[in-house]
Amino acid sequence: MSGIPSTQDLLTQACNNKIIPNQEYLLQGSILDSASDHLFQRLKGLCDNVESGPQLFNDHELCLSLRAPNQAQPLMLRVRRSLEVDAPYQLRYIGQPEFGDRTRPTLVRSSIDVGCTATVIEFLTELGCKIDYEYFSKGYMFRKGRMKITMSKILKVGKGDEALSQSQLVELSVLAPTGQDAIGEEMKAFAEQLKPLVQLEKIDYKRLGSTLP
Amino acid sequence: MQREEKQWESTLEQILSRLNDLKLSIMSMITVLETQYETINWPTFLDNFALISSHLTGISKILNRRDVGGSCLLRNRTVLPLLLSQDRDDQLLQITEGRLPVFSHDIVPDYLRTKPDPTAETRMIAHEQKANSLNNDAAAKQVMQFNKVVAHVSDIISEQREKWESESSTRAGVQQTSSMTDTQALVAAVGIGKGLLKMTMPPMGGPGQVMLPPGGIRPSSMMSSVSPQGVGHLGKAPSSVKTNIKSANQIHPFQRN
Repeated sequence: MSGIPSTQDLLTQACNNKIIPNQEYLLQGSILDSASDHLFQRLKGLCDNVESGPQLFNDHELCLSLRAPNQAQPLMLRVRRSLEVDAPYQLRYIGQPEFGDRTRPTLVRSSIDVGCTATVIEFLTELGCKIDYEYFSKGYMFRKGRMKITMSKILKVGKGDEALSQSQLVELSVLAPTGQDAIGEEMKAFAEQLKPLVQLEKIDYKRLGSTLP
Repeated sequence: MQREEKQWESTLEQILSRLNDLKLSIMSMITVLETQYETINWPTFLDNFALISSHLTGISKILNRRDVGGSCLLRNRTVLPLLLSQDRDDQLLQITEGRLPVFSHDIVPDYLRTKPDPTAETRMIAHEQKANSLNNDAAAKQVMQFNKVVAHVSDIISEQREKWESESSTRAGVQQTSSMTDTQALVAAVGIGKGLLKMTMPPMGGPGQVMLPPGGIRPSSMMSSVSPQGVGHLGKAPSSVKTNIKSANQIHPFQRN
């Protein structure tokens, strides 16, 4: 068994050493279109991208699921591609969000991102995944330390790209290795600074109602 | 007399212990910086600053204490340098942990704070000259006027503050910048596809099990276990079609001939 360690071993080792940022800490909220400029200016002032300015993004996101007969929860995968720049596609696994108790400041969910080529959708469909839903998300991305803040308009795919609501989705997230719970406090403090413009909160996915088919 | 001295001593002791605490916490912070700079947990490291600032507030509280008997008020005390010398003093060096070798005329103004900032000093002198040249009546008049102006300004400020406060409170009530229902809708849409599900491609609309052959996936299916079976099945279907075509092709020539 000696010699070069297998990839699996290396991966397990990396996981055990907690160097892989596989936990996403997340707070979510929304801002009405009428006040979005206000928030934009506030974020521009608070965040790090002073020189480059906030980053515009326009992404197409597909949500695929792979379901097995005996499993209640299907395996969900997301594929994201930029409509603006010629960047690799991004395949993303997001685990079940942990709501935690009141002492936990943010939602925590496991998250793994992989870059891939355009054939990924074909590949996943071959595996048996089906496309559940898709949307365009268009907006701005800000950075503050290792926090990522996005404000984006969610658009339906299809006729005229109709907007989903009169608000923009605002997300504050950090990708960190397991066990770095201190970041939650930092995020909470930042979310405080955006009040009362936006209420960034941890949103319980179970309460949103299961509309999965 | 004795009581006063005791109070005085206890105050000094308090200050000393506080200073030691401060020194220790600064030292520990520096050691952490120097030895563990690669692995510092920054959020906890930042707590050091909070600690230091709390020590500083503690010290300044003692220094500013007014409530205890007049004699131990530190501000009533004066520190006088009794002996200045240009020679090197080993004892001093030891006391100050190697920071101060000589107690000379150079350092006294800085260390004992006997000398104010030069710019402040010149301004002080100018003001003192001006004050000395005034007579009492004129001074009283000026004080009256000054009080009047200050009262007026404070009136204006407080008036403005009330106005702003009422304005900001009303504005917060009127303008809504975010809506909880929209948040719920957006999060549900992005997270579980609420409101987006009907927009999916029609051929894929059916339940997932229809698309997959029955038994194609075992109960404990993982990615790895699915792929060979799925591929195997998909591989079989085209092959049967191919043989059909082939057989047809084989038939045709015979029929024609």
